[in-house]
Amino acid sequence: MDIILKRYKTERKELIHILHEVQKEYGYIPVESVSAISKYLRISESEIFGILTFYKAFTLEPRGKHHITICMGTACHIRGAPKILEEVQRQLGIDAGETTPDRMFSLETVNCLGCCAIGPVAVIDGNYYSNITTKKINSIIKEYKKIE
Amino acid sequence: MKIIIDKKEIIAENNKTILDIARENDIYIPSLCNHSKLSPYGACRLCIVEIKGRKGYFPSCSIFPEEGMNIKTDSPKLKRLRRNILELILLEHPNACLICGEKENCDEYKSTIRKVSEVTGCVLCPSNGTCELQEVVNALNLKSIRFPSLYRDSEIRKNDPFFDRNYNLCILCGRCVRVCHEIRGVSVLSFVYRGSKTTIGTVLDWNLHELGCQFCGACVDVCPTGALTEKSKKYEQSPDRKERTICGICSMGCELEVEIRNGRILSCYPRKDGPVNEGQACVRGRFALKEIVCHPKRIHYPLIRKKKKLEEVSWDEAIDFIAEKLKTYKGSQVACILSSQVSCEDSYVFQKFANNVLKTKNIGTIAANPDLERFSQKSDCELMSNFRIRDISKAKVIFLIDSNVSVSNPIIWIEILKAVSNGAKLVVIDSLRWPYSRQATICLQIKPGTESYLFALIAKLLLGEEQEENFPNTEYFNFYREFLSKIQMSEALEAIGIEEKEAKKTAEILNEDGLKYFIFGSGFTQYSWGISNLTSLWNLSLQTQARVIPLTFESNLKGVLQTSRPFSAMKKDFAEIYKIISDGKIKALYSNGPIPLYSKKSIEFIVVQDSFMNENLMVADAVLPASTFLETEGTFVNVEGRIQKFNKVIDPLGESRPDWWIVAQLGKRMRGKGFDYKKPSEIMAEIKRKIPEFKNVSYNQLKKGIEIFINHKETGEKREEKLTPLKLPPLLMDINEEYPFILLFEYNSDIYRGFVLNREIKGMKLIRNSRWIQINTEDAKKLELTDGESIVVESELRRFKGYVRISEVVPSGIVLASFLSNEEKDFSAAHMMFFSGLKTLPIKIKREC
Ligand code: SF4
Ligand code: SF4
Ligand code: SF4
Ligand code: SF4
Ligand code: FES
Ligand code: FES
Repeated sequence: MDIILKRYKTERKELIHILHEVQKEYGYIPVESVSAISKYLRISESEIFGILTFYKAFTLEPRGKHHITICMGTACHIRGAPKILEEVQRQLGIDAGETTPDRMFSLETVNCLGCCAIGPVAVIDGNYYSNITTKKINSIIKEYKKIE
Repeated sequence: MKIIIDKKEIIAENNKTILDIARENDIYIPSLCNHSKLSPYGACRLCIVEIKGRKGYFPSCSIFPEEGMNIKTDSPKLKRLRRNILELILLEHPNACLICGEKENCDEYKSTIRKVSEVTGCVLCPSNGTCELQEVVNALNLKSIRFPSLYRDSEIRKNDPFFDRNYNLCILCGRCVRVCHEIRGVSVLSFVYRGSKTTIGTVLDWNLHELGCQFCGACVDVCPTGALTEKSKKYEQSPDRKERTICGICSMGCELEVEIRNGRILSCYPRKDGPVNEGQACVRGRFALKEIVCHPKRIHYPLIRKKKKLEEVSWDEAIDFIAEKLKTYKGSQVACILSSQVSCEDSYVFQKFANNVLKTKNIGTIAANPDLERFSQKSDCELMSNFRIRDISKAKVIFLIDSNVSVSNPIIWIEILKAVSNGAKLVVIDSLRWPYSRQATICLQIKPGTESYLFALIAKLLLGEEQEENFPNTEYFNFYREFLSKIQMSEALEAIGIEEKEAKKTAEILNEDGLKYFIFGSGFTQYSWGISNLTSLWNLSLQTQARVIPLTFESNLKGVLQTSRPFSAMKKDFAEIYKIISDGKIKALYSNGPIPLYSKKSIEFIVVQDSFMNENLMVADAVLPASTFLETEGTFVNVEGRIQKFNKVIDPLGESRPDWWIVAQLGKRMRGKGFDYKKPSEIMAEIKRKIPEFKNVSYNQLKKGIEIFINHKETGEKREEKLTPLKLPPLLMDINEEYPFILLFEYNSDIYRGFVLNREIKGMKLIRNSRWIQINTEDAKKLELTDGESIVVESELRRFKGYVRISEVVPSGIVLASFLSNEEKDFSAAHMMFFSGLKTLPIKIKREC
């Protein structure tokens, strides 16, 4: 943590950059780092927390080994994304923004991935899956479970 | 400039918002997120107006006037829009009561049912009747809401002391966030999460007390709804009267509004028009005061010791008993301790009694800054000086030295913060790192006791020939220059524990133009090296033309010192009284403040005049119940010399009586002359005649709000007398393997007479327990100590107990305890400090077994 901080000036405007780097480094923002940043930048912990919970790019929990993103943008929404989200939530037993207790899967929603034509869209570990249905996503997740 | 609002021509100032201008001209624009003391936020959009020639609607709270602007604050279209907005705000708010046709009947018949855990409508809400949301709904005449309600189901946050947070009632106006950030500088509240999940909160919803909240109550006071409410108020009915008075706990002198029902205090609020506090206060006045006044430890009846036991007696019997006893002692055998939290009138009568009747010269006051008086007299510089709290915000440079200012002098801190947001540079100099130092431009964490080295070093860096004229005479200047020439940069830096660039930066800042203040707290003067500190600071202030502000703590220290003028009695501080008593010459002690218990020694007879049961009573032979400042009237002189009148708000509890009354009775009984006072105004009339500083004081004028100050000579005035030669104290870090820590202490400013707020009041204990011993995180880890554990601090000769508080305030190697003159011996750091001659001590820490 100290190594990360030392690369930045002790100025307020560095906050976002630091948070990005922490997220990259750890895969999430550990709470201890909030205290460390607070001391370094001399911004209150609550303020930092407010900012980091405002941006979707930051997560407070470690992500799962496999990270699932489901698009809830307008186009995907119309084409049945809510159903798909429901299905994944049922399958994994977690809500969007959460991680399974065994740290295998984490789930997140976004608003439009910029490929509306092939919606509904899901992204798992960087792989895009297009035109998905509940059935299709079901079997995809099963595949991932099998690998493990 | 001229603008037009609703066809009315108005002369407007360009630094005020349209909303403020409208308000000043009695034009109503509904608003919710705006607050006159906070920055414009523009979130609720209720305050929208139309501007001729411009398309759209503009939030009047966030726009400023331009020449000729023509504004319309009301139109059918605006009405409709506002109602829409309000409907959306109310969507997630319990709204049934707001639009209920039965409302009026309901208010009449169900005016007291607030004792519920969940607020589902106004009739169950503690804010009913004072709620701004209600007001706006009424003003907009909203009768129905078209959308289905949404229930947030947010758990009520009840784990903090003094107030609860119910975010089901929150309208996200952000006032609490802004007041905490902008005005108090604490920033523990923040908007968290986003979109429909947005709420007000803290890091992972931690409790406020874990995050440095000071429970000043500012957020509660600005909240327009019932989301933030004082815990104890939830169960109360509405007040039947409201009275204004002055808070008598600390030296700020906040004006409070006290709500009362059936002679009982419901709540104390800071008044927006309070000349010192302007709507702000602190935990002591806002929340604790109510608990203090009717605390179970209040003494209700006079007590005298009969056969080893204190027994209730009548006033007559008590006065007779004490008068008879006191008569048997010579003046030199009697000592008096005068609380600095009693009124000028009380203090005057007390000193008159001590001087004329008891004929003693041993009178001491309890104050955190003993050296200050001595220094002021010796050097003929009035350090207890002229300044106005409000001027601090105009400063360009502020040095804040050895002070936990945001806790001990909250209003001063608010002004400092104003200066900082206006661009002032704040230099914090302290061996401790208080949470507020986050706001500092530069923070010099020096080694304990090296303040004078630092000032000498800065003086050397800045010294120039042209500064000669700032000094009283050439001789003085030459002497000073020569002294500074002997300071070695590298040695000094090493001693102070800072880097060269920090020292240079500090000097640079001090060299800037504009108003400069040196503000110091108790830590600056309380140790044995206090005089060196004062001398070096005073010299630096001459050199750089900075103004010096010594912070005082107790509500009426200035008044007590001033009212001692007509009497020849010596002014002694606690350490001196302690010494006199220890020497064994004193046979009788009369105190209306705390007593240094551990020095009872040869004393035969002790009279305690106080409002609260405390350790003092164990040794007392007679106890006289004094009323608190809410039960009588009189005047206080605050830290800036402002004389303020406090009023009787409730009747004295039990048989308690005002201090002046008690002492006057004794005076009369002992055949003293001039004790026939019937009311405090008669005493003030006498003070006016005797003490020129008070000649302008009149209760009537004060009541009318006329500002009266006690003035001294101008600060910065050239003095004839030469200052003590600047001498640097020896350095102090004489720790060794056996005693590896240095003990520092902090003056406990959470006291009211014999009552220790942060020991007796649960909520205060949670945020700053007087028995905490603060230890750095690293050190605690090494010693495997955890928060709250009982430990013993041992010096070579003494020991005391306390509880571990792991904290960032202290650097590694330093341990901090609270200084309380009447603490039980087992827990008393003061005892150890007195014994050591107020030097820092090498100590060790042991777990209590
Ligand atoms: S906050 Fe105001 S509007 Fe809401 S329930 Fe309480 S009194 Fe009624
Ligand atoms: S009580 Fe004071 S410090 Fe605490 S959250 Fe409210 S405004 Fe901030
Ligand atoms: S808690 Fe009160 S002041 Fe804070 S945002 Fe909610 S309604 Fe506004
Ligand atoms: S204790 Fe001091 S700051 Fe707090 S309310 Fe009273 S006068 Fe104001
Ligand atoms: S809406 Fe899903 S990709 Fe655009
Ligand atoms: S008061 Fe202007 S936007 Fe809320």
